[in-house]
Amino acid sequence: MKNRENILNKANELRWEIGESLHDNLLESIYKFATEISSRVIAVDVSKKSKSFDSKLDQILTSSKFGFPIMFLLLALVFWLTIEGANIPSSLLSSFLIDSIYPQLKTFSSNIGLPFWVDGILIDGCYLAMAWVIAVMLPPMAIFFPLFTLLEDFGYLPRVAFNMDFLFKRAGAHGKQALTMAMGFGCNAAAVISTRIIDSPRERLIAIITNNFSLCNGRWPMQILIATIFIGALAPSHLAGLFSAAAVVGITLLGILLALLVSWSLSKTILKGEASAFSLELPPYRPPRILKTLYTSLIDRTIFVLWRAVVFAVPAGAMIWLVSNITFEGLSIAEWFINWANPFGLLIGLNGVILLAYIIAIPANEIVLPTILMLTVLVAGTPEIGAGSGVMFELDSAAATANVLSLGEWSLLTGVSIMLFSLMHNPCSTTIYTIYKETGSVKWTFVAAVLPLLIGFVFCFFLAQIWRLFG
Amino acid sequence: MNLFLSTLILFISTILLVFFLKKNKILIQWKNRKNDKRRIKIEDALKYLYNCEYNKLTCSLNSIAGSLSITSNEAANLIKILEEMGMIATAGESFILTAEGKRYALRVIRTHRLWEKYLADETSISETDWHSLAEIKEHKITSEEAENLSAQIGNPLFDPHGDPIPTAEGIIPRRKGIPLTQLEKGDFGKIVHLEDEPSAIYQQLVAEGLYIGQQVKLIDKNNERLHFEANNESCFLAPSFAKNVTVEMLPDLSLVKKSFKRLSDLKLGEKGVVVGISKACRGKQRRRLLDLGLVPGSVVKAEIKSVGGDPTGFNIRGALIAIRKKQSDQIFIKNESE
Repeated sequence: MKNRENILNKANELRWEIGESLHDNLLESIYKFATEISSRVIAVDVSKKSKSFDSKLDQILTSSKFGFPIMFLLLALVFWLTIEGANIPSSLLSSFLIDSIYPQLKTFSSNIGLPFWVDGILIDGCYLAMAWVIAVMLPPMAIFFPLFTLLEDFGYLPRVAFNMDFLFKRAGAHGKQALTMAMGFGCNAAAVISTRIIDSPRERLIAIITNNFSLCNGRWPMQILIATIFIGALAPSHLAGLFSAAAVVGITLLGILLALLVSWSLSKTILKGEASAFSLELPPYRPPRILKTLYTSLIDRTIFVLWRAVVFAVPAGAMIWLVSNITFEGLSIAEWFINWANPFGLLIGLNGVILLAYIIAIPANEIVLPTILMLTVLVAGTPEIGAGSGVMFELDSAAATANVLSLGEWSLLTGVSIMLFSLMHNPCSTTIYTIYKETGSVKWTFVAAVLPLLIGFVFCFFLAQIWRLFG
Repeated sequence: MNLFLSTLILFISTILLVFFLKKNKILIQWKNRKNDKRRIKIEDALKYLYNCEYNKLTCSLNSIAGSLSITSNEAANLIKILEEMGMIATAGESFILTAEGKRYALRVIRTHRLWEKYLADETSISETDWHSLAEIKEHKITSEEAENLSAQIGNPLFDPHGDPIPTAEGIIPRRKGIPLTQLEKGDFGKIVHLEDEPSAIYQQLVAEGLYIGQQVKLIDKNNERLHFEANNESCFLAPSFAKNVTVEMLPDLSLVKKSFKRLSDLKLGEKGVVVGISKACRGKQRRRLLDLGLVPGSVVKAEIKSVGGDPTGFNIRGALIAIRKKQSDQIFIKNESE
């Protein structure tokens, strides 16, 4: 026993003497040893060719002249491919799921004599909501995620983080937040998972909370449609497309600006701290492995995110059917709520229908627009346009949609406000659930959910007041 | 407006609910507050007495009252409590710690320095806030929690100011070194300690860019100011500030490093050999840089700059690594030929 104590004391003394640099010295000697071995056994092949190609490419991609324009062009190309490429499979899927299967299910249920409410909840509610989510979400995700992974695989994404780092450093955030933000343009839930690449907990939380300011797949279609109806109409017809595209890009840039601003104010207040060290490896460029990329991005990301969305959309479908079919003193619950919320909605440039749609559509952003159309028709009392109360639908053309919206007394302000509100509102429940899973904290999940909503209310309120003052 | 009212009521009732859920905790905290205050006073007094002994000063009733900013009546009460607890003994006009009191004081100091080390290594909290946060935390952590924390951060030996951390058994080595003011013209020294109290002086030292392990050379001194060189930059400090910097003399001039360039000084295409990483770069950040191969002897080449000019991509042992200016400022290099 005595001996053991002596040894421990001696060890302690020696630790004091060696001081703090033990780890440094250890690593230094390991590297020295490794260099010795490698210099003995490795012959360096002077294949300068590929190396100089890499550094030339790097010089262009990170130059102050071309760096950002190339980045914007590439991202725009990815979005354009996603939006354009998703149109056809989306309409195929919706004509299959909604135009073919849906009537068959209806006939089947009436043949076996299901009571109308079981048929309503299951087929008009659950099934249609699921069909919408799959038809709208699956094709863009199946295009966007592989494209994004290809860029990552090629080695371009680390260069984006490298270029944008100075902005995020000023906001007190991590350079890799640029990557997770870009990921959010596809799907916020997947992006929240991808913040795992940020190892400092403070900066990771900032990245999670501000990710919602990246417009996701569920929100792109509505942004584009509303911009076409309201903003495009302001311009002469041959410039209409350009105008509405510019409006959507404007909203996207506003989102990036907001993400930076909110990051900055978070790191000045509740998540106080300095930007932590940033060391990012810029791997050599290499030809992407296409098949492997397709497989992993389809299985790991697309199917995973889609499954979560479906799980949340199905009960929401049942909800929508119930609130518009359960009546109370002659009015459905939906109408009661809309009348009650309308003054508040008008205060922030929206209306009661939109507020209700956003509440019902918490599970999945892509059902916001179908829900708005359905509710507008319900309130305006012109059921001949829609497919019956509590049944979501989408119209074939922008013109037809504009007609329905004019029934709801929509103005240019409503259009602009809903575009802004779509950027600044709570994340969908899939994302909220993912945030809870990733942070493990109710408090931060609450902040991430409520903060963008509050910003949206304030922003829209002031916009509406100033608009009416001058309008 | 009816709607406004109902929304408001809903909002307020949600907040009330949240408070209700936390109510039990709040009530308990309220009850504990009085006890906590007493504990803080006792522990602060013991710490003060220990520091007096460590620095070989005598300590009287008035100096205790002064350092804890309480009246001398309150100080007398505190002394009585401490005596009853067997923590201190009276020796004429002054007080000395008993073995029990010394053990307690060292435990509080250990917790304080462990927490400072934790803040420095694992969080991004600003350097000037470490001390004040540890002042609060040292009274709240049990010794068991302190041991867990110590194990978690790798049983450190020194706090970020260069003070030794007492062991759990209460062993602490004597401090080496002399105040910076005792160096003579032309002497070289290595900073081993920066006193963190009073904080106004400490903030000035930090603002000058001084850190533990830095080498300084005294150029000139008189009664009004000291002129010295640290990392090739001229610094001026009043003697009252400089006495809070402890240095170890470096007698053998051949051991003294010459002034070095920083990694951030490299222009694109230039190469340098790493000499070392500044001690101001700590914890995980330091380990990451070392793991990337930024150890003495590695050849580093600046390859690309990002759109904003910062960070810069360096070729380190065959890999292209982007490092922000703040970190590359902390890495010292020399020319390949040297």
